[in-house]
Amino acid sequence: MSEWQRKSPLEWQTYVNKEVKVTAAEKHEYKGWVLTIDPVSANVVLVKLVEDGKVCVSVILGHAVQKVEIVNEGDDEMKERLAHLFMPEESKAYGH
Amino acid sequence: PISISTMGCGNEADLEQEQQARVALRERYLRSLFAMVGHTIHFTMYERVNVSAFFDASDIDILNFQVSDLQTPLGVHREALLRCSDIISYTFEL
Amino acid sequence: TTRRSVQPPAERPGERRMAEMKKLYGVGAAKIQAMETAMQLAFDRNCDKKQPKYWPVIPLKL
Repeated sequence: MSEWQRKSPLEWQTYVNKEVKVTAAEKHEYKGWVLTIDPVSANVVLVKLVEDGKVCVSVILGHAVQKVEIVNEGDDEMKERLAHLFMPEESKAYGH
Repeated sequence: PISISTMGCGNEADLEQEQQARVALRERYLRSLFAMVGHTIHFTMYERVNVSAFFDASDIDILNFQVSDLQTPLGVHREALLRCSDIISYTFEL
Repeated sequence: TTRRSVQPPAERPGERRMAEMKKLYGVGAAKIQAMETAMQLAFDRNCDKKQPKYWPVIPLKL
């Protein structure tokens, strides 16, 4: 198991809502905002906001993660947007 | 492999904090899986293999993805299982 | 003196899993388990019905 997979939920949580650069197996690189890290698989869910309010989601498998660097600490607005992504009941309440 | 590294050596408050973090992280991940159902997902696999498929379901240990209409370099498979250990990343748009 | 039963304590797998979930997720265990059950149920049902095969047949990463 890699160092990334061995982290605790509290350690993973420090990456949530921040913009990161992930270096993965076979020299793949990903950049995006951390929505979550699955505590079971250590999979990293990255979100990128693209045009027309669309979002592009990239998930890097925990076993393939080599390095995660924080490039932007983020702000409350981004935190809000990420909190409402995939949350049906809350996004409904948000619209009222 | 769930981390229980900090369990048993901290106090109640530490344990609760870790549980809350685990709930928040896991809930967001499970919701992302539900959001993928019926969408085309692009998979980047080891050995530079790239495929795409409709996502149907995952087992809860995140070891296997059950997909349909899997487009591979060698043809299409109507139904398939992907091993998560073969996958480096997956991407989708919403 | 306490009477010891010859039978091991009756324990159902579901109970043990709930105990593990409680340890990991605390008060959020039931919520997480409900979501996990829904996903696993869909997975099991589809695998039964569609009999998907592994692709690729041989794992890419051993």
